[in-house]
Amino acid sequence: MKKIDKAAYQERLDRITAIFKDMMAHATEQARYRCPYKNRFDECTAQFGCRNQRKPRETGGLLMCGGDDKLDYRMAWETEEAPRERPDGGSKVARPDRGSITDGTTTRPLTAGRTVFDYADDLAVQVPTSCFRNGICHECIVEIQDGMEGLVPRTEAESFLRENYRLACQARVVDPDVDIAFSPLRRTPKILTVTEEKDTPLDPMVSRQGDVVFYDGEEVDEYRGHLYGLAIDLGTTTVVMDFVDLETGESVHLCSFENPQRFGGSDVMHRISYDGAYEGELWNAIINAVNHEIMDWCERTGTARQEIYEIVVAGNSTMRDLFFRLDVQSIGQKPYKSLIENEYLAGERETTALTIGTRRLGLRANPKARVYGMPIIASHVGGDVTADLATVELAAQPGVSMLVDVGTNTEVVVAGNGRVITASCPAGPAFEGGGIKYGMPGYEGAIETLKWEDGRFDWNTIGDNPPQGICGSGLIDLLAELRRHGMMAPKGVFSDRKQFEVSVVPESGITLSRQDASNLAQAKAANYCGQYIVLRAFGVAPGDVDRLFLAGGFANYVDVRNAIDIGFLAPVPEDRIVKVGNAAVQGAREILLSRSRRKELESLVKNIEHIELETTPDFFEVFVEACQFKPMPGVLV
Amino acid sequence: MAELNDIANDFLKDEIEEFIERPEERTRIINAFARATPDMQEISAALIDGDNGTVDTLTRKALDEGIEALEVMDDGLIAGMSVVGVKFRENFIFVPEVLACARAMKAGMTHIEPILSASGIEPVGTVIMGTVKGDLHDIGKNLCIMMLRGAGFVVHDLGVDTSEDEFMDAVEEHEAPLLGMSALLTTTMPNMGKTIDAFIDNDMREEVKIMVGGASVTQEFADDMGADGTAEDAVGCVELAQRLLEELKQEQDG
Repeated sequence: MKKIDKAAYQERLDRITAIFKDMMAHATEQARYRCPYKNRFDECTAQFGCRNQRKPRETGGLLMCGGDDKLDYRMAWETEEAPRERPDGGSKVARPDRGSITDGTTTRPLTAGRTVFDYADDLAVQVPTSCFRNGICHECIVEIQDGMEGLVPRTEAESFLRENYRLACQARVVDPDVDIAFSPLRRTPKILTVTEEKDTPLDPMVSRQGDVVFYDGEEVDEYRGHLYGLAIDLGTTTVVMDFVDLETGESVHLCSFENPQRFGGSDVMHRISYDGAYEGELWNAIINAVNHEIMDWCERTGTARQEIYEIVVAGNSTMRDLFFRLDVQSIGQKPYKSLIENEYLAGERETTALTIGTRRLGLRANPKARVYGMPIIASHVGGDVTADLATVELAAQPGVSMLVDVGTNTEVVVAGNGRVITASCPAGPAFEGGGIKYGMPGYEGAIETLKWEDGRFDWNTIGDNPPQGICGSGLIDLLAELRRHGMMAPKGVFSDRKQFEVSVVPESGITLSRQDASNLAQAKAANYCGQYIVLRAFGVAPGDVDRLFLAGGFANYVDVRNAIDIGFLAPVPEDRIVKVGNAAVQGAREILLSRSRRKELESLVKNIEHIELETTPDFFEVFVEACQFKPMPGVLV
Repeated sequence: MAELNDIANDFLKDEIEEFIERPEERTRIINAFARATPDMQEISAALIDGDNGTVDTLTRKALDEGIEALEVMDDGLIAGMSVVGVKFRENFIFVPEVLACARAMKAGMTHIEPILSASGIEPVGTVIMGTVKGDLHDIGKNLCIMMLRGAGFVVHDLGVDTSEDEFMDAVEEHEAPLLGMSALLTTTMPNMGKTIDAFIDNDMREEVKIMVGGASVTQEFADDMGADGTAEDAVGCVELAQRLLEELKQEQDG
């Protein structure tokens, strides 16, 4: 027997340790979404009872795991009976004069020592978690709208959060006399813009021959009964997901939710700087949210997630690259070009589109599924606009056509005679409720239309619920009516100059302040500038536009007349304006269904001219003019 | 540069074909297997398959035939484990499969241990590990054991639902300087403290360093119950074990 050299042996141990260390890191990460006792056949290897255990596949075999990889698998394990101890007098007799906590609909009295998560349970508010509420998974982020001072200061686990965002599991009540209002990050918008399905010739990347599934000619799986794809419109504020049957081209499920990255700021510039400071947190938030929707749909319909073979993501440059876990810092500073765009310009890649395996991003789909990021055009003009172009086929329209995709970042494209020009306008979230006291996104209870009649405002809310605030379309109506009836000057000053705010719904205390008007003026100005400068560069007046496609979440509900009157939209004759709803998600679906359209688009985006608004010599003058609530002139000089 | 077909073993070829996608990894793994003998390739295949019985038999046979222990480690065990690592990273297999592969590796290493002691190489240390009474959650503990063994520790695993007496008997029997206890539930966590008390009551606390772990165990809990340390995860567990051994040595020397 030959002896072993000690140093040589140690070197082997070091190699084993290195392999194992990587495995441990992966195990920790994986445990965030998958029960570690579940083997690759989805069987349970635990020696203890769990609510997710199901009958074995065959007698004598291991129990099956019926868990859906939801984030709270640990809750199903048989755990302690006794309630956890509250550190500070949870059992004390409640004082009658203490404060209360609300999620906006229901209210509960406060007790010191309980966490916001405990109250979310009481109020039946869904808050995700996967770490047993230990401050590790960072999924239970909530916004504290009121009462931060009644909670313990931010713990170490929350050091990545700013402003009034907290982890629900860490935010403990210390002063029960302070009223608290909170909301989770993944509220579901009630407005779902369903656009009409076009007849796209079926030619998806994913196909089937007999029992074999192919991706772009490569064999990837055995047919399991369905071929599904997923189209995602990844908005800064709202995310829409469309589950598509790739064999019939039909949309089988559409859902949407608020982008959970809100804790990193409400516009792309804030998200970029946030990602620079806390790399990976925003990526983690969006991937978890998308996985949550996938698993939810799979569970409800009995679909295996392995039947999803491709995911197409349409998002602006920042949203897309955060999703792909790329460094976005260069998008935040001059010349605002992404990593991918720089590589493309340097000739290192053929397209700004991205394709990688879903597993690399931790997405729950077939292990061989791919995720395709729609090509970006330039700077902030991203894959969402590319998707819009796929939907409206702008370049193929006769005459001069124009696309305005209204959002936190509004994009404008003008096309005609083989030329296409685009620009991106950082409008900010004001029309989606950001920074406006009674502003809100298009959820139930939002005032969506408004009219001044008989000395008062007549309004309608989404879902006919009691009014909670005003969403984008309502704000545009409000501004136009205030102007129309002489209650507000073009500069946003109320007719009574000392008046600080106007009452909109006196019964509910909903108002519009001068500060709100000023914020809306700037958001509107960004929209105005984009349209003005692009039209002018193209050498046409608003009246020359033969077709204006209006896209984006709330654009579908906007009163076009009012939008033109306050200078939110260029004065294109109303009968030439076509509302196309959420064109981005529809474009993503088309790209999912057609390889040839994908190729076409990849080459189309290479020939689009991009204008950077801020470098336009007279940008400032245009902007100042744009801040006024009055129509854009018919002739652009 | 070796080709896939330079590998004799069909199972290994299929594994590489199916699971190893990254080109540089593919090249590295193909090269590693191509230079291994068919017998070593068979050990790797059995390890990847999580078949501890076969790894046990084949390793014994190879060593009896005079093959060097380091060759068995390199070409059989470590080569196989590197494939397991990639499959795990890419979500083709999960923690239970990984633990089965680790158990197979341990079956092979068991035969190498006598050669080590004959060569004058002492184990880094001996550790007793177990999940406490009333608790059946063992995955964290099992990952710790895998890491500890990989780092050269000899580990005696007492499994789940381990009583105070079982812990004390094992420490005594193996003269182990280290004990690791795990508990997931907040209701069973106090049993770690009770076990530590039992060691004190039986005058055994001085001889052994005690580590505790589990999802809800914090440094504060560990201090309160009188443990010598706790770690966040399995990687931290190895570092902790090494540190505690060092401390024990210094105490005994002092």
